[in-house]
Amino acid sequence: MSRKRRHRGTPGSSPLPNADALQILAEEALHAARYKEAIEHYKELLKVERNPAWVANLAQAYAGRATQLAEKDMLKEALALWRTRSQICGTSLGQGPYLGWLVQSGDWEQVMGLLSSAESLSAELRAHTEIQLARVALVAPDAVLQKLPPDSPLVQHRAVALGALAAYAAGDHAAMNAHLSNIPFRSPYRDLRAILKAFALLHTDIAQAAAAIDRIPRDGPFEPMAAALRVCVLPGVQWLAALGKLDKETRALVLDIKGCPPKQRLVVSELSMLRDQPVALYDWLVRHRQQFQLSDATQLCLRLLPHVPDRLKTFRANFAPLAAAEHARILALSAELKGNPDQAEENWQDFINSTISEEPRQRVQSALVLNHVADSHNHSGKPGELCKHGIDLLAQSLDLDGQDRGTHLKLIRALRMDGTAPKELRNRIEKAVAQFPNDPEVLMEAVQSASDSGAHKKAVGLAKRILEIDPINSKVRGIIGQACLSQARKHLIAKKSDGAQRELEEAGRWLRTTSERGAIKLLQVFASEGADKEDALLREAVADLGGGLVGIFHLLLETARTKRNARTFIRRAGADFGATPSTAEVVALAYALNASSDHDKILSGALTPLQEMLIRATKLEFTQPEQVLVCEALHRRGERLLSRRYAEAALRRWPGRPIFVCLRAEAIYGDNRRRMPEREILALEDARDLAESQSDKRTASRLDALLPGTVGDFEMPGQRTGLPGFPGFPLPGGPATPAAAMEALLALGGEDALLEMMRKQLGKRMFEDLRLEIGGSNKQFARRLMEIFANPDALLGGDGVPDTRPMPPPKYVPAPRKPRRPAPGQKDFFDD
Amino acid sequence: MIDPYRLLGVTRPADDESIRDAYLAAVRACPPERDAQRFEQIRAAYEAIATQRDRASYALFDTSVPTAEDVVTLLSERWQPGRPGLQRLQKILGAK
Repeated sequence: MSRKRRHRGTPGSSPLPNADALQILAEEALHAARYKEAIEHYKELLKVERNPAWVANLAQAYAGRATQLAEKDMLKEALALWRTRSQICGTSLGQGPYLGWLVQSGDWEQVMGLLSSAESLSAELRAHTEIQLARVALVAPDAVLQKLPPDSPLVQHRAVALGALAAYAAGDHAAMNAHLSNIPFRSPYRDLRAILKAFALLHTDIAQAAAAIDRIPRDGPFEPMAAALRVCVLPGVQWLAALGKLDKETRALVLDIKGCPPKQRLVVSELSMLRDQPVALYDWLVRHRQQFQLSDATQLCLRLLPHVPDRLKTFRANFAPLAAAEHARILALSAELKGNPDQAEENWQDFINSTISEEPRQRVQSALVLNHVADSHNHSGKPGELCKHGIDLLAQSLDLDGQDRGTHLKLIRALRMDGTAPKELRNRIEKAVAQFPNDPEVLMEAVQSASDSGAHKKAVGLAKRILEIDPINSKVRGIIGQACLSQARKHLIAKKSDGAQRELEEAGRWLRTTSERGAIKLLQVFASEGADKEDALLREAVADLGGGLVGIFHLLLETARTKRNARTFIRRAGADFGATPSTAEVVALAYALNASSDHDKILSGALTPLQEMLIRATKLEFTQPEQVLVCEALHRRGERLLSRRYAEAALRRWPGRPIFVCLRAEAIYGDNRRRMPEREILALEDARDLAESQSDKRTASRLDALLPGTVGDFEMPGQRTGLPGFPGFPLPGGPATPAAAMEALLALGGEDALLEMMRKQLGKRMFEDLRLEIGGSNKQFARRLMEIFANPDALLGGDGVPDTRPMPPPKYVPAPRKPRRPAPGQKDFFDD
Repeated sequence: MIDPYRLLGVTRPADDESIRDAYLAAVRACPPERDAQRFEQIRAAYEAIATQRDRASYALFDTSVPTAEDVVTLLSERWQPGRPGLQRLQKILGAK
């Protein structure tokens, strides 16, 4: 006997296992849904004994197998198996899915026969079956229905249901309603009544139709009609997306209701399957363009072209030739969508070159393009910040269209953030104010700029103009008040107490909050210097400014701003430097540090006397967010000692927490990251991995930046290991590729930052030589330098032989490692 | 984004005033309390083409992908809502 035959052997051809073993096999097969095998086993078992449990299991196996066949659309086989099940196991034929399969197979005679054989169905099952058969009964031939008893509701209410259906189709709503009113509440046709009413409402009140269809159960006999209705009541054109999920007949019904002409039905069905893929939609539009007006189809395809630029070639053949400017515009948008701003800028330049003319419309268009391109030069991600080239583009845009208020504002903000061209900023503000003299936003920019540059009187004058236009502008009131305070400080520094008092009185008219009033009181005390009777006012001012640690901090800050002797005022204010501040006070100080716009030097001067207090406060139990807030505020202000103490205190409470590891390392090493010992690097790497695993990307990237071997640690041309005369320099993390590092730097700081770094790397002489040799704009020069660094052979000559010109010494030479000191008691290597 | 001209029911050469009139009419017809989503679409459409500069900007830089819904909106403009015939209803009920 072959092996194969033995494996597939039937019960007859192989030795019969005993009943117990067969039962186990049968149960296993049944549980594993191997119904065919289970049926065979149970049939064998039943030959031995008619055990009721085995009969029930055999019925279950038959049901499972029949369902499997029905799922494969083998309805005929499934029905035959169900009948066999009924014969062998004595189960009721009408129970389970049998009726449904019969209906599906269209075997109505069998259905009605089953329904008429009273003995096969219970009363409840009979009622349920009648409901399920209501849809079939409506369309079944009359002869088939004669098999049913005449008192069956399926027969009794059929005529009115058919009448209602015909009346709806004929548009006779009155007749339809009359027929529907004759269908009783408990009739198997009751769902049809609700559905036809909802259909009638569809053209008059879609909201009511939607409400009506919501009340119809989804497992009812008339679900195909209800499904069409549910799609029709969807808002707008959402029905299109739902159309693809419907069967052919239901789809046709929806399109009938929507009024889709027959010649467009296939087109719409195809469209419903597209799922918003630009290529597919474009090709579909080209194929079916005759269904639209030519201008509409062209417009749609033009909107799609930036997403499918490879279809530009066929556009001409299908529609019309594209103008050069339009071609450039599509390529520019396509480059932007692909994230290639340089290519986009080139294409936009082509666009401007193709459209340039003195015609106002074209000038506005070119100005808009320049403005748009300028936006791509925001490398920092901070709103409004632009690199030099971006600022130039905005200026050019204004030259073409001086009426564009938005561009005026954008340019002023960019210049103000750049801070390197105050004269240009003043000119631009003057132009904008002349152009829009009553525009609060333009005037506000002028106020901010005047205030930033210390021209407080001018700021106040402009701010008052804004208040004439917008009297309740609280921001302007604040600006005027602060400008008066700044002016008062100037007077105090120049020892002009009268002038200071005048400004403080003026400030009092504009400033209202407690802390602002506190600042006024404090400066009033300074103005009346020497008058001890003002001590009460001084204490009041400190209390208004937050009291405790924050109050003292503000007092110290004001003395630093007005160049007063802090010690005198601290004594007069009765400040207690020996006390330990509370957590709330330290947190309030962190907020004050974050809010302060003072120079770090002034802040540092104000914080130094508080250092002891703040160090004592490191022992306090802050919550984790509070600890982060305090550490970050101190770190931001360059208070490395304090920041380190707070980070270390945090690490004692939450060991290994990435943010504190990062803050501690930043505080200790600052810019001297190359001095970081190996164990520190390992700790940072662990913290970075932990931050990444916690999805804390911000901390992970901060830690990454701290680790040596990232930006800046790449080979310089001619410094590759092995090049004669240019020794390479080993790096702890291994060198990053120059191209990647420079791309990262370009993305972060723009070409200005990249060129600055290059200047430092190459030395001024070589940098200037290259600048002369390469020429072009900053951007082109930066790109060319990047190419050279990415492929140093280009600089060295194709043969890899170094350029004979002298190279500057590399700047990124790692500091020589200090010899490791042996631990106490540890023997030196040579001790033995 | 649905074509703002189509949404507001104005032609491409329409001026500021007629666009504003169309916008106000659209808002009156569909106030935010009735259909907030539709109102947002109307508002976005108006902001996209309110001034001549906005219209030029929209024409130059719009990269919104027309959707199948946009296309069917265009296609169905001339359709007249209809009523299914008796045969269609019988077919959906399972008549052979």
